[in-house]
Amino acid sequence: MVCRLAENVQVRKESWGLLFYSQHRHKVCFVKSGDWLNPEHFDGTWTLDDITDDIARRTGTPAEIIERSIPKLTERLTANRMIVNELC
Amino acid sequence: MNYADWPLSAPVNITWEITHQCNLNCIHCLSSSSTASPGELNLDECLSTVDQLAALKIFEINFGGGEPLLIKHFIPLLRYIHEKGIVTCISTNGTALTDEAIACFTDNPLVNVQVSLDGATPEVNDRIRGQGTFHRIIRGMELLAGKNISLSINTVVTSLNFTQLSQLKKLAGSYGARLRVSRFRPSGRARESWEMLRLNAAQLRDLSDWLGDDPSILTGDSFFSISQDGRRQLGLDMCGACKMTCCIDPCGLVYPCAFMQEKEFCGGNLRETAFKDIWDNSEVFNYFRHLEPAACRECPRFSKCRGGCPAVAYFVSRDLNSADPECLANWSQNVLSAPSVEGQI
Repeated sequence: MVCRLAENVQVRKESWGLLFYSQHRHKVCFVKSGDWLNPEHFDGTWTLDDITDDIARRTGTPAEIIERSIPKLTERLTANRMIVNELC
Repeated sequence: MNYADWPLSAPVNITWEITHQCNLNCIHCLSSSSTASPGELNLDECLSTVDQLAALKIFEINFGGGEPLLIKHFIPLLRYIHEKGIVTCISTNGTALTDEAIACFTDNPLVNVQVSLDGATPEVNDRIRGQGTFHRIIRGMELLAGKNISLSINTVVTSLNFTQLSQLKKLAGSYGARLRVSRFRPSGRARESWEMLRLNAAQLRDLSDWLGDDPSILTGDSFFSISQDGRRQLGLDMCGACKMTCCIDPCGLVYPCAFMQEKEFCGGNLRETAFKDIWDNSEVFNYFRHLEPAACRECPRFSKCRGGCPAVAYFVSRDLNSADPECLANWSQNVLSAPSVEGQI
């Protein structure tokens, strides 16, 4: 399963995390992810395992901690229609 | 800390008043538009500004004025912005549409068009926007309808059109458009018409109830402070000036918002300073980011609205530490003493 930005959604990096924007709904979504997530993680090529590995490698955070957080975060973004989940 | 306090590297959206030139002379015009101002940005300067905004990944530019479609370079500018993937909203009076403009808007997912109409009948609209404008605006709506354009009618709610809002919603629907309502605020020519056109407390209560009952109505910013909690959840729930948005005027001056275009609130000049520098370092912008009106700090709703719209507060009292006089707390206190309302929405 990979995460991809939903249609007509854009995202940019901020000091505290990611800012998502839906152009159809003129809505924004603040994701306080610090240095963990990057916009590239939602280009449709990264699985949750890939994202977890990338965060662990860059930040030194144990994978089990990341694995507890990332699914909740992607579920919230999916519920807010900012991202969609796709089969690889 | 509220999300709106999280510092942004750049605005989410920008209001860009592209010109002061206008073919109408509306009595509530926020920028007192009529003729172009000396020194308005030329196309090259506009393109350079867009390059800066695109590099900062600003998501949306809302064009107003003045009438943007009177500017010869407006459609080329719009096309350039769309090449950068930036969403645009064009606020127009609908009377200056050209084939080129309509072609640019048609089937374009990066375009939202907002046509200003201030009454559901010529009698009401024309008192605000000028004699004969109702039929000219409706003609514009006819030209835009059915072309797969994200279209809305924008109405500045005043005491004159307050009872026509439901009619305006139906009228918008007949063109496949939605109704968007904006707050009437005392800037520009509206300072002269403020006392005549402003809503009284009972009207503000009825407007709040009406908006609360109908989430399909779009609202401009700063409705959060005059609306019930259910409505507030539909959009930005506090003033976004200098936090999520700001305004560029026709000459490249950058202000906290379109309703705060006073010399003392100017954050900088794009002809002298990069946009990013103004956004990050302007003393005025940093002041607005931390503005907590003294008159509101004891209010039980302070955490919900943080003082409401500073533009209304400032232009009514000339004091940024005053409360938004139309906020829910104020109209709730005043509603019993307000004159009875003639007619309903």
